[in-house]
Amino acid sequence: MSAVDITFYINAAIAIYAGWRVFVTDSMVRASFFLLISFLAVGVIMLLLAAVYLGVALFFMMAVEMMVMALFMVMFMMNPAGLNPMKMVHQEKVAIGVGVVAFAALSAVAVFGQFPSRPIPEGLQPVVSLGHELLGDSMLVFESAGVTLLATMIAVVMLTSHRGRYGDANHGSRPPGLEPGGDPADMPAEAEDEGHHHHH
Amino acid sequence: MTNTLLVASVGAVLLAMLFGIYCVAALDCAVEARITGRHRSNTLLAPLKSAARLWYAPHNQTETPDMPAWRLAPILYLMLAAMGLALVPWSRGFVPVDLTTGIVFWGAIEPLATVLIFLKGWAPNAHFPLLGAYRYVALGLSYILVSMFVLIGVALPAESLQVSAVVDAQAEMWNVIRQPLGLPLFLIVGLGVSFWGPLNFIDADDLHGGAASEDSGRIRLLWKMGRAAMLLSFSAIAASAFLGGWQGPWLPGPVWLVLKTLTIVLVLVVLGHRLPRLAPERFVTIAWVVLLPLAFLDLAWAGVEALL
Repeated sequence: MSAVDITFYINAAIAIYAGWRVFVTDSMVRASFFLLISFLAVGVIMLLLAAVYLGVALFFMMAVEMMVMALFMVMFMMNPAGLNPMKMVHQEKVAIGVGVVAFAALSAVAVFGQFPSRPIPEGLQPVVSLGHELLGDSMLVFESAGVTLLATMIAVVMLTSHRGRYGDANHGSRPPGLEPGGDPADMPAEAEDEGHHHHH
Repeated sequence: MTNTLLVASVGAVLLAMLFGIYCVAALDCAVEARITGRHRSNTLLAPLKSAARLWYAPHNQTETPDMPAWRLAPILYLMLAAMGLALVPWSRGFVPVDLTTGIVFWGAIEPLATVLIFLKGWAPNAHFPLLGAYRYVALGLSYILVSMFVLIGVALPAESLQVSAVVDAQAEMWNVIRQPLGLPLFLIVGLGVSFWGPLNFIDADDLHGGAASEDSGRIRLLWKMGRAAMLLSFSAIAASAFLGGWQGPWLPGPVWLVLKTLTIVLVLVVLGHRLPRLAPERFVTIAWVVLLPLAFLDLAWAGVEALL
């Protein structure tokens, strides 16, 4: 077994183990970072497949993405630090069913599929050819997809953050009262004559 | 790669890391003593003494921390700095990791450092570290964009994303002259990612020490070493990307690289002690309103220059 094979098996094992931990762990932040570890291991496998640019791009894309995801999930959730235990799975039966079907389908492709055996031609520069592809014939497709995704992200944040946890964001956030119409639960009315008190 | 070359590469990177971390710490002590006028008994020994004290100090315990993450974050941060240092060419024939996408890989190290800094502040499950962690993520995302644009500008005249090609392309003229905006912007990012001096927002005094406020003992030592190593890696990459790397007359390549790297380290350490600290929210505004447009300008400059 060559060094490349050993590296592949180690990273494949890491990717699968970390991917499994995502669903077992009880914290948003840990789940995001386990997913990041899984993607990083896949990135190393892409490097082994001579996809030098895509592998490295996966590293920084996933690092930023998982960081922002952890931050946003924590921001939009009740669990300010993400350290409180919470259940990370729901609709388990459906999810397990979908997972088993997807695994079987992908395995069937891997086992029964006919893969072309085309060795990389001598002197091929994968990064250069990828650059020509991205900024040549496929440029319109990629740019449209990019702008669409960006617009979607901005729209989603606008739509979801419009209503805060305690009502319309435009009216200021004000927690509900302990009794109907009462003072906000964790904001006691400020004592305006506190300085006055000290004189007596 | 033959086995000898592999051993030489690993050895060079590790030695450079250890020596470089010591140099950063000693320079920091010396500059601090010079600026404050409080002379220590021995500046050369002070970093070693401080390291030995931290090594034997007990570990601090908080309520239900994520211990594995807390311990791993400083080690992984050190490893990231080492990976960055491995990209730097020492001479024409000796580059520890000569990745064809080296510049992009460096671009990946900065976001990964952001993840680790957040993890480090999050893991102790305490207020001030967590505030420092969130603060860094908000700030870090604004630095990283600047550094990406500046580095793409460096890759343009070389027509390659390989660090050794970037160094070769500076045989006639260094990038610091060709793209005058690049180096200052890159150094600001360097201070930011290793949160040094005026840009030390995450371990800041206004947060009671921030992400480091619950650290003691070996974790604190490794974290300090990681910051110094990251500053060193930034300096070495800056020397290669803007100051011609190993190129220079009379002396052999590695000597030039070390000299240029240490010069940048010295500049960064002096700036770290001399510049006043900004409020973090004001720095975010500066990063987006001033630094990012300047980075665009640098990139446009590099593009026009490459076309001419």
